Amino acid sequence: MNLNPSHLNLSRYEGCTITGALAVSAFIPDALTVVHGPAGCAHHNLSLLHATLLQQDRLFLPPVFSTGLREPDIIFGGEDALQRTIERALERKPRAVCVISTCIAETIGDDTDAVCGRDWGVPVIHLHSSGFLGGSFNEGFVNALKRIAGLVPPAETRDGGINIVGEKNLEFEVEENFEEVARLLGVLDLDVNVRFVRNETVDDISRFSAGCLNILREPALDPIGRHFQEAFAQPYLSGFPVGLQGTREFLRAVGEACGSAADEAIAAEESLQDELSAEFADLDGEAISLSPFGFQCPEFSLLSEVAEAIGLRIDPEGTEIPVPFGAPVGTAGIRRMLHQWRRFLHA
Amino acid sequence: MKQIALYGKGGIGKSTTSANLSAALADTGLDIMQIGCDPKHDSTRMLMHGTWIPTVLDLVREKGDERISADQVVFKGYRGIRCVEAGGPEPGVGCAGRGIIATFQLLERLDALHGDVIVYDVLGDVVCGGFAMPMREGYAQEIYLVTSGELMSLYAANNICKAIARLSRRVRSKCALGGVICNSANIAEENVLVEEFARRINSRLIAYVPRDRIVQVAEINRQTVIEYAPDSAQAGVYRALAAGVLEITNTDLTIPTPLEMDELESLALEFV
Ligand SMILES: Nc1ncnc2c1ncn2[C@@H]1O[C@H](COP(=O)(O)OP(=O)(O)O)[C@@H](O)[C@H]1O
Ligand code: SF4
Ligand SMILES: [Mg+2]
Repeated sequence: MNLNPSHLNLSRYEGCTITGALAVSAFIPDALTVVHGPAGCAHHNLSLLHATLLQQDRLFLPPVFSTGLREPDIIFGGEDALQRTIERALERKPRAVCVISTCIAETIGDDTDAVCGRDWGVPVIHLHSSGFLGGSFNEGFVNALKRIAGLVPPAETRDGGINIVGEKNLEFEVEENFEEVARLLGVLDLDVNVRFVRNETVDDISRFSAGCLNILREPALDPIGRHFQEAFAQPYLSGFPVGLQGTREFLRAVGEACGSAADEAIAAEESLQDELSAEFADLDGEAISLSPFGFQCPEFSLLSEVAEAIGLRIDPEGTEIPVPFGAPVGTAGIRRMLHQWRRFLHA
Repeated sequence: MKQIALYGKGGIGKSTTSANLSAALADTGLDIMQIGCDPKHDSTRMLMHGTWIPTVLDLVREKGDERISADQVVFKGYRGIRCVEAGGPEPGVGCAGRGIIATFQLLERLDALHGDVIVYDVLGDVVCGGFAMPMREGYAQEIYLVTSGELMSLYAANNICKAIARLSRRVRSKCALGGVICNSANIAEENVLVEEFARRINSRLIAYVPRDRIVQVAEINRQTVIEYAPDSAQAGVYRALAAGVLEITNTDLTIPTPLEMDELESLALEFV
């Protein structure tokens, strides 16, 4: 989530793996989520998800069931409670159930895999997410994606277009970022196949293996890229396009992976990027300093590349600009960032 | 009120010794309670003349812990000894240690823990926090280790010493070691070996209980030796144990000094 995942700024990497798992399972509209643990685990993690989205004016409260474990379940085992809760969830006829396990289920040794593995008629997928076993939001997220990949059957053909993998469902500009990638793919005459996993149904997800290339949201998802490479022989790109040159390179890499010529698209993108300097000519010659916001890393080549293209000077005496929390995606992301810089400079 | 706990390896004779100790104590006119803290739930069976009493956790499982009353979990056995079995989950699921904690909280809430002496009979192989519960919170203040001269039994006893030593570092801790009971496995010079073990862990041997067929005969008759054969030599041994336990006062209690594994092995080796 952070531009610089060094040990000094781990704070954004902590929290419970459950939040990460929920940030995946909640975005399969015809699946239901069961959190196997005390009611609080479901409540707090769901609240966090809810609050984060609300802050972005997105009102979304996915249905989440809790097995609501109490002391007797701890003493005698929580498997019966899990079974009952899965049954309750299935009454709503979901196409799949995601079971998120918690600290307590793992501590008392509930065989969650065995309960999930029964013949339920629809897939019941165990997302291992006991907080105490280590990991954070990110591990929970990545593990959940890997497990959901189990829903995907092998495909005969690879003509389904491009898969987008691991979009950050909780990030502010999640749709804008997707649209930018879709625009760039459009320039290359390519279509999006499956957004894995963002608002795709269980059936949609099963078309994943027909995709000819996987584009990961960020390099932290490489393990998933490798997973699909092995499972479905799909090549992958490690991240969304970042930076001016980075966006052009992205076009080239996608073109290469899909066997389509990218030169024209790259030239078109370059002239689009050139227009930025005209659009933001009023910033030419101004001085900015990059404020690390407490934990962000200002030594970020993307920012100096953009500053240079616009004619901005980076100077400790210049107007303070906060380092963005996530790298802007594509040319459109840079344009939005420059609009923000303008507001700071002309404030 | 004196609260004592017998800890030791599974099958070493904790329940047999506890029940006979309780019976001998009750014979002197004292008000005794015995609480079995082992999912095996057979601690009080001889005191109950062979009846398997419902366990606390069976009731919790059936009714939830809110609707349980004291007379549903406390049963009167030989000479009015109040018997309780904690019980546990089905083997292979859940958390038995948490079950012990829940049992104690329930008994506490029911005001069931009273009498002149409470005897806790506790499984000693599993030493998670739950099975240390009787040693915590001021329940059992005197711990007795039941062991034979066998290495694995001494090993379990030594582990319990570690738990006592650890707990004794806590400010509110009230538990300490009362002594070692040798329940014989018919090993040559066993009493000397266990006595030496007791000395090295900073404690003492308070009873040597021979292996005697009368124990099995009494068991078949669903009674303690004290009840079935009060005039037997074995009953005398249990009565002497009871007298010894009653004599132990606070100043006799010690904080044990557990042995390292190699010390324990070389000690056992000296006696093979
Ligand atoms: N001193 C003894 N002499 C003969 N048999 C004994 C003696 N102590 C215990 N036993 C037998 O050993 C078996 C296990 O004893 P028990 O008290 O149930 O062990 P624990 O409670 O430690 O698991 C019982 O069948 C009992 O009859
Ligand atoms: S850390 Fe454990 S107990 Fe806390 S919310 Fe996560 S799973 Fe639940
Ligand atoms: Mg026993």
